[in-house]
Amino acid sequence: MSSSTFTFATAQYDSGDWDSAPLVPPNIIDTIARYTEIEVSPTGVIVALSSPDLLRYPLVYLTGHLPVRFSDAERKQLREFLDRGGMLFVDDHNHDIDGVFHKTATEEITRTIGEPKLLPNKHPLYSAFFKFTDGPPTTSHELNGWGDNLVHKNLFAVMREGRISVLYSSKDYSSEWGYHPDSKRFQSVDNTKFAVNIVVYALTA
Amino acid sequence: MTALERLASARATLRAAVALRALFWGAAIALALLAIAGTIDWLVGAPRALRMIVAPAAVALAVIVAALALYRGRRVRSTAAVALWLEERVPALRYALVSALDAPVSSPALEREIAAVQWSSVIRRALGDALLPPLLVLAAAATLLFALPAGVRARISEPRAGDALLRASSAPAEPRNRLSPLVAEVIPPPYTGEKKSTIDEPSSIGALTGGHIILRGQGDASGIIATVAGAAVSSLPRDSANTWHLDIVVPAKPAAVELRDRRYSRSLILAPHADSLPVVTLDSPARDTVMRTPKGALTLGANATDDYGLDAVWFEYIVSSGEGETFTFKSGMIHRVDAGNAHAVKLTGSLDLDSLQLKPGDLVHVRAVARDRNNVTGPGIGVSETRTIRVPRASEYDSIALEGAPPPDVDSSQLSQRMLIILAEKLQARRAKLPRADVVKESQAIGSDEARLRQHVGEVVFSRLGGQQGTEDAGSNSAGSAHMTPDQLLAAANAATQGSAGATDFGGDETPVVAVNRPLLEAYNAMWDASRSLEVGEPGAALPPMRIALAAIRRARDAERLYLRGKAPVVIVDVSKVRLVGKRDDAASSPRFARAALDSSFERRAARFDAAINALGTNPAAAIDSLLALRVDALESAPQLAAALAPAIDALRAHRDATDALVRARRIAADTTVVRIDSPWGGAW
Repeated sequence: MSSSTFTFATAQYDSGDWDSAPLVPPNIIDTIARYTEIEVSPTGVIVALSSPDLLRYPLVYLTGHLPVRFSDAERKQLREFLDRGGMLFVDDHNHDIDGVFHKTATEEITRTIGEPKLLPNKHPLYSAFFKFTDGPPTTSHELNGWGDNLVHKNLFAVMREGRISVLYSSKDYSSEWGYHPDSKRFQSVDNTKFAVNIVVYALTA
Repeated sequence: MTALERLASARATLRAAVALRALFWGAAIALALLAIAGTIDWLVGAPRALRMIVAPAAVALAVIVAALALYRGRRVRSTAAVALWLEERVPALRYALVSALDAPVSSPALEREIAAVQWSSVIRRALGDALLPPLLVLAAAATLLFALPAGVRARISEPRAGDALLRASSAPAEPRNRLSPLVAEVIPPPYTGEKKSTIDEPSSIGALTGGHIILRGQGDASGIIATVAGAAVSSLPRDSANTWHLDIVVPAKPAAVELRDRRYSRSLILAPHADSLPVVTLDSPARDTVMRTPKGALTLGANATDDYGLDAVWFEYIVSSGEGETFTFKSGMIHRVDAGNAHAVKLTGSLDLDSLQLKPGDLVHVRAVARDRNNVTGPGIGVSETRTIRVPRASEYDSIALEGAPPPDVDSSQLSQRMLIILAEKLQARRAKLPRADVVKESQAIGSDEARLRQHVGEVVFSRLGGQQGTEDAGSNSAGSAHMTPDQLLAAANAATQGSAGATDFGGDETPVVAVNRPLLEAYNAMWDASRSLEVGEPGAALPPMRIALAAIRRARDAERLYLRGKAPVVIVDVSKVRLVGKRDDAASSPRFARAALDSSFERRAARFDAAINALGTNPAAAIDSLLALRVDALESAPQLAAALAPAIDALRAHRDATDALVRARRIAADTTVVRIDSPWGGAW
């Protein structure tokens, strides 16, 4: 596999249930292969947040339901990863802004790199590949009133030099995209297209 | 009659003469203007824009002239001025009249002197001098105006589109060009309900496909040849009331109409537009979904719009069952509504899933359909996106992770505890500004939702304690709490919630059933407190127990939530299969590159445009026809160019300066836009 191959990485951290959405990585890999010519690895990898291997991946996905408490090693390694231009995509699997994941994850992100701020819905992220004129696409969990019973109009982000360093979502894409990629054929509208924008943005911005 | 009475009589006569003179001059000038304009129109023809202002100008001029005439005769308002005017014209008065007018008392001597003098002849002569000239002008103008052909008078007095045919040409009949003037009457299809319109001297006619265009010209129809898109039209020109007319059905595609009359020819473009299909959007269900237990009713909602009116709207469903090589289908149409020519219709309904008797593996496809009233080229049928409801088989291992269907109505009507807190907080914040009655009303509405939510929580608790589905009123008969009435359950809930701070820790002598459900019991109890406060219009007092209830619900959820732990399943994506590039290991996926320019149509159009421009100097008519033909071709393939050519052609035909329009058209015709691909992924997708 050449060094230019994109490999989807899921962050493993000591606290919480980092592996709560195991079907999201293959689903995103399938989507990347389906819509783009990006050389993509057929399987994702799990990389410990405290491992130097973190620096080998341009985009790292982090999710869970339970409290997130970074260890010092994790925080240090994550900070270096972000300093070197990596992008962290954090999704609240609880879809609950009063939930423990949201409170602790945003606290840890703020402590590590800075406070996530509202990302405008006209940000280039939403036109990096597909056009999302209304901002981030809604999820079934939002529309069905689960979790915090709110439809989140925006994502949040920590910016560095005009570029998204940490993308934070309360929309629960981890549930929305958590199905086997073979089942995508049953969907008349592919709900994973936004993942392409995240990957393309991480690789090109 | 005294001298002053005679003077007053003379003054009244002169005043009437001044008024009549003003009236006659105003009318004479107005008629003269109309007659002159009509004569000019008859001789050389006047554009409608000019004719439109003739009548208002005539009225304005009449008013101005009449006002001037009144101003000139203003002296008759003064009795002294009239007396002097008479003294000037009747010397025999020897200033007796002005003396009598100035005398403070009547003098018999003066009266006798004035009575001896008659001035009626002077008055009559003055009347003749004042009224005769305007009457002569008025008669001459009226004679000229009524001598003009009737059509010309109508064109001047009531100009309208299509009245070019009313103008009787002053030229000899034989060499007259019967293709000018030309009037087009555009008649939309009856189902649209739109009015017909008329276009003078058309060069391009936009009309709805299936409608009619009637071209009219002066003279008889013999010898006039018409072709549409190079083929002779089926309906030949026919005579009617000293005009010929040609009825053309608006075709589906743009076409050029060629008219020939001996050595004269004329081209015009038919630019049809089609009746749009109805636009249908399916609002509910909002997306595809998977249902493990397909029961109940599926709410359906759709919106349909159409440009000319809808005939009917309905939902369609298809149920496919089976697997492998054997599939069966059944379909149906439900909730059909006659739209009654409405432009927009909102359709709602429900699909009874029980009646479909769905089995695992079945797929239900639902869509909304609308039909318009187009009975000429239609009917146009518009359909929405299709939503699919899948009933998964047990073997479809991922299906259990998906429950995308919206909650059933009974659940969706319930607001969450969090939302109720938000509503109560907002009400509390607005409380000072609201009348007490409104506060109580809104508070009771929140309380009603709170009660429904409490009932739902109660169902969960009681069904657990009782081992079966139940309500807070029904209780249970199972072994776990057969002896407990709802009051006793509440007492147990009270006892449980007033225990230790550790909500989920078992403690004391409480039963495990109560202990496990203690957070929910605590929530249930707090909801009672909140409901009571909300019912009496005290949202502020309700907030603390509502927050306690929310916290308890969360604890219950956290206590019971199961999280997947351990090794994640490894799913290997077959990238080649996803990209549809085959299975051979020795064959790599073929790279995709940015395509070259598709064709040289731009170049061809630019060349034709240049040729037409070059011909402008030597044969303008041919050049205009070439531009018309280019526009016909461009209407479909390059609408921007077609739009830019229209003003250029109109300007050339009207012998106006067409430079700007031609330059603009040339830029569009020779568009050399180059697509830059400098992204690392450029052109790969």
